[in-house]
Amino acid sequence: MIILLKIVDVCTRIEGHGTVKILVQNDEILNVDFEIGSNRGFASFLIGKKLNDVPKIVSRICGLCYASQTIASCKAIENLFEIAVPEQSILLRYLLLFGELIKSHSMHFFFQSLPDLFQIFEISQKPFSAYELIRYDSQLTTNIYELIKIGNEIERIFGGRSVHLITPIPGGLIYLPSRKNISIARKYFQKAIIILEWIIEKFIDVFSNLAPPKEYDLPNIMYMGLNDFGNFDRYRGTLKIKENERNSIEFEEKNYSSYFEKDINLRGIDFHFDKSKRFLVGPISRYKITENYEIDKINTYLEYFDKTWQNGVLFANFLRLLEMYFESQQGLKILEEPVLNRRTLLPSLSSLKNSEGIGVIEAPRGMLLHHYYVNDNNLIKKAKIFIPTEINISIINDMITKFAQVLYNKTGDINLVKKKIQTVIRAFDPCISCVAH
Amino acid sequence: MKPRFIIISLTSCSGCISTLISLDIFPQFLERTKIIHFPFILDVEKIEDCDIALVEGCISEDSEIGLLKEVRKHAKKVYALGTCAAFGGILSLSNSRNIKSISTYIEIDGIIPGCPPPSKLLGNILIRLIENKDTSLSEKVLCSSCPLRENMEENLDTHIIKINPNPDEIVLGEENLDCFLKKGILCLGPITREGCESKCIKLGLPCEGCMGPVSKDFTSNTINFLSLLSLSEDLKNYEGIFYRFSKPKFRR
Repeated sequence: MIILLKIVDVCTRIEGHGTVKILVQNDEILNVDFEIGSNRGFASFLIGKKLNDVPKIVSRICGLCYASQTIASCKAIENLFEIAVPEQSILLRYLLLFGELIKSHSMHFFFQSLPDLFQIFEISQKPFSAYELIRYDSQLTTNIYELIKIGNEIERIFGGRSVHLITPIPGGLIYLPSRKNISIARKYFQKAIIILEWIIEKFIDVFSNLAPPKEYDLPNIMYMGLNDFGNFDRYRGTLKIKENERNSIEFEEKNYSSYFEKDINLRGIDFHFDKSKRFLVGPISRYKITENYEIDKINTYLEYFDKTWQNGVLFANFLRLLEMYFESQQGLKILEEPVLNRRTLLPSLSSLKNSEGIGVIEAPRGMLLHHYYVNDNNLIKKAKIFIPTEINISIINDMITKFAQVLYNKTGDINLVKKKIQTVIRAFDPCISCVAH
Repeated sequence: MKPRFIIISLTSCSGCISTLISLDIFPQFLERTKIIHFPFILDVEKIEDCDIALVEGCISEDSEIGLLKEVRKHAKKVYALGTCAAFGGILSLSNSRNIKSISTYIEIDGIIPGCPPPSKLLGNILIRLIENKDTSLSEKVLCSSCPLRENMEENLDTHIIKINPNPDEIVLGEENLDCFLKKGILCLGPITREGCESKCIKLGLPCEGCMGPVSKDFTSNTINFLSLLSLSEDLKNYEGIFYRFSKPKFRR
C-alpha cells in the first residue's frame, strides 16, 4: 500500500507569503516545493494603460524592489521611443538603485539571514528572536539601523520618498540636487563605508574560518546577470550567462528571447538556451560574472573565503555586504560628477519608434526585465515582467528537496526538516511580492 | 506592561511593513512593545491576544478573511496600515480580482493611510499607540496645505487633457507655480486627504490620490469634483483614474 502525505508549512522571515510543500511517500520524501500565492495580475491590468502611468503602477509590485521595478519600466518605455536619457538622470537613477540595495540588503542581513547563520554555524542553538537579535550586539544594531536610515535618506533625497519613488519618470528623473543635498548624501555614503567595513570585518572574524555545511552547496548551474564589460554594473551593459571560465555567452537585452522566455502559464521562466541546466541570478551571479571590482579592499576581503564558501548559497550573505560597500564607494564617485547638478532638459516623449520596448536592470535580487508591447493609441497592449526570484525557484526547489531527503533519512524528524529547509530558502532572499506580481 | 502587537500582511507589496521596519524608531518600538506575531521578522506562527493589530494589504482571496477575523477576535484595536488595507489600494485597478479593504469584513479602530504611509505620520501614530493614546488624522483635503495654493484653480471649470505632465514640460530646479488643474492636468488634491507634505506636487507632479479620501465625504466630494471638470475624450475612456488607490465601497 502506498501512503502519500502532503505536509505544508508556512515560511517565516521572508518577504511575502510563501509555503513549503513536502511530499512524503511511505516515509520517504519524494519532493519539496517552495510555493507562492497566486498572482496579483499586474501584467494584466497594465493593459490599456498610458505609458507615463506605467512606472508608478509597477512600483507597487514590491515595497522592497520599488526603485528597480520603476527604473526597469522607464527603460522599457524609453526603448519604445528610442530616446537617450540625459547622463544626469542616469547618475541619479544609479543613486536610487544604491539606496534601495543598501536598505534591502541590510534588512535582509539583520532580520532574515543573521539568525540563521548563528544557528547553522552553531553559534546559537536556536534562532535568535528579533528581541535577542537587537540585544546581541548593540553596536551592530545601531550600525544596521544607521545603514537602513542611509538607504532611506538616499531614496528620500533623490527619489522624493523612501518607498515608491516620485522622481523617476520615462525620459529621466525630475530632480536637480542642490549642493547642500549632494553634500548630505556624501556624508551618508562616507558613513556607510565606515559601518560596512566594520560589519564586513566582523563577519570575516566570526565566519571565515568556519566551514559551511555542504547541504548549502550550489549544484552545477549557470550564472546570469547584467554586466558592463566585466565591471559590476546594475544599470548599463549586456546580459551574460556564465557556467565557468571556459563557457560563457553575452547578449543584448533585445535578444533575450533567444535565451529565455516566460513559461506558458506565465508563472516561471524557461531557459531554452540549455534545458539541462538551472539558472541563478542575484549577488552570487553578479560576483561570478564580475571580473574586477577595482577596489583593492574588496579583493582583500574576498580572499578570506575559500572555495567551500564560494560554492555555497551562504556566500550570498557576505556578498550582500560587499555589494553595499561597493555601491557606497560608487555613490561617492557619482556625487563628484559635475553634471549632477547642471540644469538639464528632459527629452520629449512624442513619437513612438518601436511597437515593443525592453528594459533590464539588476534588482537587489537579480536581473529584472520588463517587456512592453503597445497598440496604435500608444497604450500598453501586453506586458511581460521577468522577476529574479522566478528564475531562482528551480534551484531553490532542487536544493531543498535534496536537503530534506538527506536530513529526513538521517533524523526522521519532519519538524526539523520543515525548519531547516527554510534556512536555504532565506539564504536566496526570495522576493515573493515580485513573483506574485 | 508593554503593549502587545500583532503585525500581519494580506495581499500587498510589503512596502508598508518595510517602511515600518526601516523607521528610525523601530528598535525603540521593539524595546517598548511585545510583538507576539510578525512573520516578516519573527518565527512565531500562533496568534494570541494582543492590544493592537496592524494589518497591511487588502483582501483579495477568501482565505485571508479567516485570518483577518482571527486577528480581530484577538486584538483590542485593529489598525489598517497603508492604503491597501484602508481603501483597497492599487489592486483596485485589477479587472480579474475583486479586492476589498479590511473594513469590509471587520470593524477597525483606525487607519494609517498612504502608499506607503509617510514615515513621520506612521512614527507618530505608533508612538501614540504604544502610549495608549488616541490617534487622529487631518480631515482636510490636500489643497488646504498645497504649496500652489495661492495660484489655485478656484472655478474648476477646466478641461482636463492629461493625467501627467510631459517630461519636457517639467523644468528641473524651477518651482512649479501654477495649480495643475489650471493647466489641464488632473490633480486629485481636491479629493485626497492631506498628510503627505505634498511631496509629488513639490517635485512637479500632480497628486494621484495615494493617501485616499477624507473619510466622511468621499463619494459626494468625488461627485462634486467630477461634475466641475470636463475630461478629454481620451481620458473619459481611460480606466482607473479615480479609484487607483481607493475603491469606493458599494452599499445597498
